[in-house]
Amino acid sequence: MDPYARVISGRDEWGIEPNWDRSYQYRSRVAFDDFDWEGDSPLEIDDADLVIYELHVRSFTRNENSGVKFKGTYAGIVEKIPYLKALGINAVELMPVFEFDEFENSRMHPDTGEKLYNYWGYSTVAFFAPKAGFAASGKFGMQVDEFKQLVKELHKEGIEVILDVVFNHTAEGNERGPSISFKGLDNKIYYMLTPEGYYFNFSGTGNTLNCNNPVVRNLVLDCLRYWCAEYHIDGFRFDLASILGRDPWGAPLSNPPLLESLAFDPILSSCKLIAEAWDAGGLYQVGTFPAYGRWSEWNGKYRDTARRYLKGDDDQLGEMAQRVQGSPDLYQWNGRSPATSINFITCHDGFTLADLVSFNGKHNEANGENNCDGGDDNLSWNCGAEGWTEDQGIKSLRMKQSMNALTILLTSRGTPMLLMGDEFGRSQHGNNNAYCIDSPVSWVDWSLLESNHLLYDFTKNLVGFRHQHKCLRINRFDDPGSKHFPSCSFHGTNPWQVNWSSESKQLGWLMSCDDDSTSLMDAVYVASNMAHYATWFELPSLPTEYVWKLCFNTGDIQSPFQQSPAPYLESGILVGDRSVLIFTASPRET
Amino acid sequence: MALTIDVVQGDVHVTITLSGDVDTKTAPELLSQLTALQLHALEQLRLDLQAVDFISSAGLRAIVFAKQKMPHESALYLIGASEQIVDTITKTGLAQAVRIVASVTEI
Repeated sequence: MDPYARVISGRDEWGIEPNWDRSYQYRSRVAFDDFDWEGDSPLEIDDADLVIYELHVRSFTRNENSGVKFKGTYAGIVEKIPYLKALGINAVELMPVFEFDEFENSRMHPDTGEKLYNYWGYSTVAFFAPKAGFAASGKFGMQVDEFKQLVKELHKEGIEVILDVVFNHTAEGNERGPSISFKGLDNKIYYMLTPEGYYFNFSGTGNTLNCNNPVVRNLVLDCLRYWCAEYHIDGFRFDLASILGRDPWGAPLSNPPLLESLAFDPILSSCKLIAEAWDAGGLYQVGTFPAYGRWSEWNGKYRDTARRYLKGDDDQLGEMAQRVQGSPDLYQWNGRSPATSINFITCHDGFTLADLVSFNGKHNEANGENNCDGGDDNLSWNCGAEGWTEDQGIKSLRMKQSMNALTILLTSRGTPMLLMGDEFGRSQHGNNNAYCIDSPVSWVDWSLLESNHLLYDFTKNLVGFRHQHKCLRINRFDDPGSKHFPSCSFHGTNPWQVNWSSESKQLGWLMSCDDDSTSLMDAVYVASNMAHYATWFELPSLPTEYVWKLCFNTGDIQSPFQQSPAPYLESGILVGDRSVLIFTASPRET
Repeated sequence: MALTIDVVQGDVHVTITLSGDVDTKTAPELLSQLTALQLHALEQLRLDLQAVDFISSAGLRAIVFAKQKMPHESALYLIGASEQIVDTITKTGLAQAVRIVASVTEI
């Protein structure tokens, strides 16, 4: 099959069992480029202003209760655009949409007999073709138009489209895998091979694309330019991107030509480039990924630190302070900016937010691998019982911890990323690696939107709060701050004095800048207490023309946010156990 | 299923009535019929789809092709298309090029 094919047939409708007698499972087709974009172009939103929402095309609307007509498709997402718009996010990051084969390594669960798929699709069959099975019109061969329509409709509502792209390996597997394209064209050019001719496996999936060979490099460049120019894609997130910086024998390069070419490519010049800065071969480059001033990174250290801090681990304050201000320890020394850091606490890999506060360990039995797959370093805490419970105390603690996580994430500098459904408590029942599950375990359960409406409202208000407060989105480490406060300062139970000792669990951060158009100060103070007891915080004093207003309080589980908060005139406040409060400085009304 | 194509020339419009399936095999017939019209000077084209169950991507392409050749201010009506055909046209963004009506009386 032509690796540059723009439409692929053979898996036109999701989950239809293929005829395995056919020698060729996929066929290239011709794509038309007569789509009417109506003047659309990529949005070019500043990195620092983004709030990213990661979603899987099928999982997002496949559930019967999604309320959309075309469930599990690109067209289904279009129907959910009003929802996304109301939530306030301004970028969606789509898990792989390049044509993949859901039947690759498909199998039956040994105990339950349930069909297991290559559900997530981190295994590309065709780099230039959108997944037909994700298109309601795939059976008519119209997936190109349907996907373009999705991009156009999202852009109309100010939402960017970022694609999760997988260039580290292909669907051809190792020496036992099928020959689809590259193996037949030039096996030893396209793949990294051992001296004996076997496939290097830095991706953990069978083969490794030889990305720093000039021919392969051009394939990657051509592909991204095509998606950028032809589909108006706003950015790309590179799966296991560290592999892209290895030489043909697997050694990490100090100046990888592919990463450099992508960074300086004129067609991609306004595209976001986001690296998952590690690989399955042990290379971990968060903070050291070759960035050329262009690349941002999924900040795995943000996730880990925030999780440890949330569950009240010792020794976390110092690192949490770094993470909150955009991880200068990782990105300032080499001239990068806070928005280099894509901050997240949950993503498709690992627990959902609801599971993070409900399970101490993974429960991946449904994957049919005896619970051996998936990570064990979840840094999760079940709040007192493993899995579902009727204990009201535990349930409300979980709700509070979920809100704490969202509060910390959305008041940190850098670019926040939410996982689909976390805003209303989506669960995978403890499965932290549902890569093969095409069932309600993976599908977003939209009934939770009603039952967890408070969490949804809280998230929506928090996202809106972030958009309102420029001081949370400052994208310079050397920002001068406002007339009254530094750009970012840290506080303890007493203002300007943090107890950095190892058992301390109280941290406040105050971010501030001046609004040049109104000459008013923008200041946000976040007081977090991760101890299991309530603690009195003295508030930093404001200039006389301002008063603090309490906008969010996760300790007040009945009404954790205030639409129009009243001035808070006390000098301090009792911050409840495991609670986070957000104050904003407001001009004093005379 | 074979496709029959019936072309009727009106005073300012052309009505094409289709019957059968517009699939990969029959779409070229539709395309050649459309090409034979004076599309660049046509004010209105009416495609009667009441007797059509299925239109493939090639068939939809033929319709898009016709609209692109017609003058900018012209109108291309799809009459009596099935729900499935209307869905496909809507979700792929082709709906803005055509006008969808249930019957000829709505024109």
